[in-house]
Amino acid sequence: MRERKNMSARRTAVVRGRKPISGLKHDYAQEFMDLVVEAANSRELPHFLAGFAARARRMLGAEWGAVGEIRGTKVEFHSHGADFPGGEAERPQLLKNITERRTGLEVIPLRGGASFTAYYPIYASDGELMGTLCLVRRTAKFSAREKELLGALGSHAALSMEKVRRFSQLERSKKQWVEDIDAISDYIAVHDQGCKIVRTNRSLATHLGISPVALVGEPMSRLSHIAQIGNTMPCPFCGNLTQEREESVALSDGRTYLISTSRTRGATDEETRTIHVLKDITDRREAERRYRELFDSIQEGLFFATPDGQFLDVNDAMVRMLGYQSREELLQADVSPHLYPTPAAKERLVRAIAEHGALRNYEETLRKKDGSLLHTLQNISAVRDQQRRIVQIRGLMLDVTEQKMFQSQLQRERDFNQKILNTTQSMILVLDTAGLISYANRRCYEAGYREEEMIGHRLVKWVDGPQQKDFDAALQTTAQGQQVENLEVRVRRSDGSMGHFSISLSPMRDESNQVNSVVVVMTDITDATLLQAKLAHSEKMATIGRLVSGVAHEVNNPLAAILGFTDLLLENPEMPASAKEDLQIILQETQRTKVIVQDLLSFARQRPTQREPVQVNTVLRQTIRLRSYDFASHGVEVIEEFDEKLAETLGDAQQLQQVFLNILNNAYDAIQESGHHGRIRIRTRRNEETVEVTFSDNGSGVSDPERIFDPFYTTKQAGKGTGLGLSICYGIVRAHGGEILCWNNAGECGSTFLVRLPVATDATLTAAAKEAGR
Amino acid sequence: MSAGKAAGKLSPILLIEDEASVSAFVRAALERRGYSVIQAPSGDDGLKRLESGSYSGVISDIRMPGKLNGADVHQWIQEHRPELSERIILISGDTANSETQSLLRGSTTPCIEKPFRVQQLISIVESTFGKP
Repeated sequence: MRERKNMSARRTAVVRGRKPISGLKHDYAQEFMDLVVEAANSRELPHFLAGFAARARRMLGAEWGAVGEIRGTKVEFHSHGADFPGGEAERPQLLKNITERRTGLEVIPLRGGASFTAYYPIYASDGELMGTLCLVRRTAKFSAREKELLGALGSHAALSMEKVRRFSQLERSKKQWVEDIDAISDYIAVHDQGCKIVRTNRSLATHLGISPVALVGEPMSRLSHIAQIGNTMPCPFCGNLTQEREESVALSDGRTYLISTSRTRGATDEETRTIHVLKDITDRREAERRYRELFDSIQEGLFFATPDGQFLDVNDAMVRMLGYQSREELLQADVSPHLYPTPAAKERLVRAIAEHGALRNYEETLRKKDGSLLHTLQNISAVRDQQRRIVQIRGLMLDVTEQKMFQSQLQRERDFNQKILNTTQSMILVLDTAGLISYANRRCYEAGYREEEMIGHRLVKWVDGPQQKDFDAALQTTAQGQQVENLEVRVRRSDGSMGHFSISLSPMRDESNQVNSVVVVMTDITDATLLQAKLAHSEKMATIGRLVSGVAHEVNNPLAAILGFTDLLLENPEMPASAKEDLQIILQETQRTKVIVQDLLSFARQRPTQREPVQVNTVLRQTIRLRSYDFASHGVEVIEEFDEKLAETLGDAQQLQQVFLNILNNAYDAIQESGHHGRIRIRTRRNEETVEVTFSDNGSGVSDPERIFDPFYTTKQAGKGTGLGLSICYGIVRAHGGEILCWNNAGECGSTFLVRLPVATDATLTAAAKEAGR
Repeated sequence: MSAGKAAGKLSPILLIEDEASVSAFVRAALERRGYSVIQAPSGDDGLKRLESGSYSGVISDIRMPGKLNGADVHQWIQEHRPELSERIILISGDTANSETQSLLRGSTTPCIEKPFRVQQLISIVESTFGKP
């Protein structure tokens, strides 16, 4: 190529060396010859066109000549020598004429007088207007020869122009091609059959630090340190020479190259050219490796699947989760019939994806390889094609079996606790450390407290005034982390009454172990306290009973002897009268003692002597009759409020009469003591399986209702009573399987006695009959 | 009684009573009215005497220390001395006592409750054993 260029320069020099011919005496033939040579050698169109215009000017005797070359919408003038002789005003006209393909002559005013301009359009072989030869001369008329010449020149110019233009286009494109190849960052090397480098691109040469030209003819082995595919051939990149195309991956210096090789037969020779393109895929490989690593190391299961759920790829976590040995095992067959416990579950999933495209936190229970169930949470998205058809589904799967189990366990525990909280007979409250109620269980509301008077209020306000101090102290102790058990305080109930409560306070701690609330368990133990007291009382009475029984028996023997010998002494006629008087006193006191002992035995007695159906109302009426005279004469009114349909009880009418008489006497005495207008109200009624008899008086009341049934407990003055009357009542009632209670009337004077006796039932009657027949 | 009549003299009454003072008073009261009394301080001792001797009647306390009480004595007589089964008087410290109740239920055996007057004793003894 260089060779040719040199040659062309020489030829041009020859042409330029020729003496120019002026005037009409032109050697046209010579000019044409030169034109042909010039056209053949010219590589650059502007230069050729300028030369051509100059030649035409000379040959046609013009003052000015130029070729207006049309480049797209622009026109570029090529001429040697003088500028366009016209003024600026004429120039647009010139251009217009060229672009409008005007042919012929036109007179345009030029500097120094009118001139004629001739146009000759130059067309390419395909009819495209390439440009116009413009000549300006004084002579308007072209001779026939000149016209001929102009035509010859024009067609010649057209040919040459087309050729030069093509050639320069080719040149440009070739140059561009090399530049393009050089611009490619991939390394490109072309070698011949002998593995000698034919060409490399710039980036490869730059990598080696030499110019591309310097590598031409060098052996390919010079490139081996860039990369090597590990072969034994002279070219480090060639694998199988018979292959027209091949691809291989080569590693070197921590870089990875994808070598794409093509083999072609050269156009000029028969030799095979091998073209290697080395693409540095290190980063891509790294990215791929990282992606795979991430894919496999991630703890969540990842999967790619067909739209109908067949797995295409899964990660290790997914394999592990589903209990398979390997990825291959899981991918091998369609596992979905096993995976989904029911076909409907899978259909539901496929449908949901088709409908929503993506599913977030989709819950699904799957079956592992071994058949056990796996609770999963999945995020699935569908990949669609241009027609919006789903082509793949991708998903992330979390094993939430443990959470699920934990959750259900938690739920069970929560339900369990809730049940306890809701069904317990204790009131359970949660207080903050300031003592304000933040929670109250159902029992609190069942007990009648209202939410608005509890939540947000201080619990202490329900505690009995004098004990609020104690409660606050207990709360303080609990807030400091100590448990307080069984604090017994009086608490105002929702109905305003006071109850006896046992309260336990437990601290609750937050994550940082700070007490942030207090759980309060309150139990109304009023009934329990009463029962406890009753039990204690009955136990005490039983002990006294045993003691009294023992004493009475022991006393009976000496008493029998004293009474007996006193009788014998009194029978003795030798006894002086004064002694007999004394003996009478002994006798009297002995008999009094005998009564006491018998009373004591009555109190302590375990069984009534009789057991037969008794109508309590009848016994009461008989008893009242016994005292009616006394009562009437002392202004004591007896009000009978009897249940006339009262059930019978089972027992000893005599003994029951004794009980009622004792109670009436006691009431009478109390009334006498108070000096009131006396009133005794006697009421009978049935209460469940008992017959209840209440005696309410308006007397002086009882000073100690707790001790009233104790033997020898009396408030009456000495000599008025033995203090055994009510003890006997107690013994008798207990022996009948009933109970006797006493309290002072609330809010008014006097006291009330309550006698409860079991109702006679068929069962108790049968038992009693059997007992009697024994 | 038949045994007593055969001897021409009334057989003694066997008095089984652990309480010496009571036993002494009963014996004195009966002897003053012409009865002869043999005392036994316990149920065991009473049975020994019943086995060897002949008595016109038996007065026994119910509650006594030792292996045998009044109920046992009563039972033994029913079985071994049927002629005496209608000639027993029991003494009780507490007739309302369940033990005594069950012993006396369905039986015609008279029972006298401590403390008792001499007259009560004599009338029961006379009606049960007859006058001496």
